[in-house]
Amino acid sequence: MKYFTIIIAVCFLVAACATPPPISVDEALTAKNEEKILWRRAQEEQQVIDNSGWLYRDPDLEIYLNEVAAKLKAFTDLPDISFDIKIIHDPNLNAFAFPNGVIYVHTGVLARMENEAQLAALLAHEMTHCTHRHSLRVLKSLKDRPAYMAIVQQSLKKIAMVQDLARILGVTGSMAAVTGYSREFEAEADRIGLDLMSKAGYDPRQALNLFEHLRQEIENEGIKESFFFGTHPNLQQRIENADHWIATEYSGKNAGLINSENFRSRLDKLVLANARLDLRMGRFDAAQRSVQNYLHRNQNDADAYYLLGEIFRQNGRKTDSKKAIKQYEKAIALDPSFPAPHKAMGLMHYKEGERLLAQKFFESCLLLSPDAPDKAYIQGYLQRCINNGEES
Amino acid sequence: MKRLHILLIGLFLISGCASAAYDRSLSNLPDYDVSVEIPNGWYKPNYEKRYLITKEAKATWLYVFIQQRPLDRSFKNTQKKLRKRMLPLESAGLIIDELSSDRRIMNFKVLENAPAIIDGQAGFKILFTHKNNRGFTYKTLYYGFISDNSFYNIRYSAGVPVYYDKGIDDFKRMLGSFKLK
Repeated sequence: MKYFTIIIAVCFLVAACATPPPISVDEALTAKNEEKILWRRAQEEQQVIDNSGWLYRDPDLEIYLNEVAAKLKAFTDLPDISFDIKIIHDPNLNAFAFPNGVIYVHTGVLARMENEAQLAALLAHEMTHCTHRHSLRVLKSLKDRPAYMAIVQQSLKKIAMVQDLARILGVTGSMAAVTGYSREFEAEADRIGLDLMSKAGYDPRQALNLFEHLRQEIENEGIKESFFFGTHPNLQQRIENADHWIATEYSGKNAGLINSENFRSRLDKLVLANARLDLRMGRFDAAQRSVQNYLHRNQNDADAYYLLGEIFRQNGRKTDSKKAIKQYEKAIALDPSFPAPHKAMGLMHYKEGERLLAQKFFESCLLLSPDAPDKAYIQGYLQRCINNGEES
Repeated sequence: MKRLHILLIGLFLISGCASAAYDRSLSNLPDYDVSVEIPNGWYKPNYEKRYLITKEAKATWLYVFIQQRPLDRSFKNTQKKLRKRMLPLESAGLIIDELSSDRRIMNFKVLENAPAIIDGQAGFKILFTHKNNRGFTYKTLYYGFISDNSFYNIRYSAGVPVYYDKGIDDFKRMLGSFKLK
């Protein structure tokens, strides 16, 4: 509740400060001095992100995301802006755009999308923040910028996780990613985004499906730090707006492109990578759902079965240990040379005092991976199995 | 009158600095079930509530952080919890998960993850590097173990490449003196 109140206070403050000033959308980019400064600042902040080790590197996927952005760009009011879509290795449901057209999308939000039309909805929203110069318009409208930033920083201080992100992203990035733009600008980005995706041939109803699907995820997981979908105009309000626009402006039109199969096959690797991040953060249910969805499409992937086994093992519920063993056994059956499930089986048997079984799996693990980074642990446990529980 | 004011302010500042400078009462950490011998030159700043011990090394600072935390206390980044029956390999994995999920820690890289014995207890040591948002690289040696219902850890952190080596011998002495009461 405290978190919610702070977020509302920050949004209210942003909304109150940002009355759209008279900047023409089709005015040449960087024509104004303030815009040059803003772009320079954005580039500095992007350098920090790009060198942080947070980027998810998959050249084919990046090309695909940029191709979808290019389809949308053809219908923007500012065709000379150059967009660059990058992926951040982070399981939170977020995406944000810098004023110079660089857009960062988290693996968390990509992994939860169902089709290309939903991706187009998100990109079209973020691209509108750039083409309609929302950063510049917010900053120009602030009569007392230092006081504004001080209040925002003060509010953010109370939310440790958000504060950390804001400190690293800097002013431009945190406005885009953390505090969000004003309610009015977010609504504008939603409405124009729908128009863009529709003109590019996508089914605008998928924007609504995306909002609803993510709302469900947020509720299921009790996720608090969902900046893009949680803090901008109240998610319910956005769903109602989108519903209204689709019913009034897009009814009777052809459904348009959805493109599920191609999208899913291109994002399969990312879904698994993001499930690992969910597991790392202890979001066991979200990780389990993602891996199970992945396994419906990729039934012979040893790594995915191993990951599902890890989710069950690390969750630590008594009822899950049998499920974990079953997944590890599938992984080993599919790829007997894959050392990780051998190690996991060894650990499970070792903790249960089943020394002979543990010994067998530790030995096979070390045989398959003699240079494993954690081999010193395995060697120690193996020695204790051989010595029947006694230190050597 | 003006001179008196300046003198008083000066005295006030000196006394403030002196009380902040050294607190050598750390050989028995009052809130913890732990004692550690602090080598000369290291001190706990008064402003710091946690057991953070520091030493100035020319242009930088070296840090040792000691912590005893209940097993049921949540971490900041991961929702996972340490459990009593966890093996050192498992608790090291959880600590790596916590660190690598921390948004303040950039370019996190584990250089070594190995079993360790601390005061006769089976634990782990993790050697890692990371960068902060200003691009400075730090190297940290993190020892930890579970005993009863607590997780104990002692870590040494300093800038690399030059500064890390300046305090590592002192840290090893502190680690050797680490005792559960």
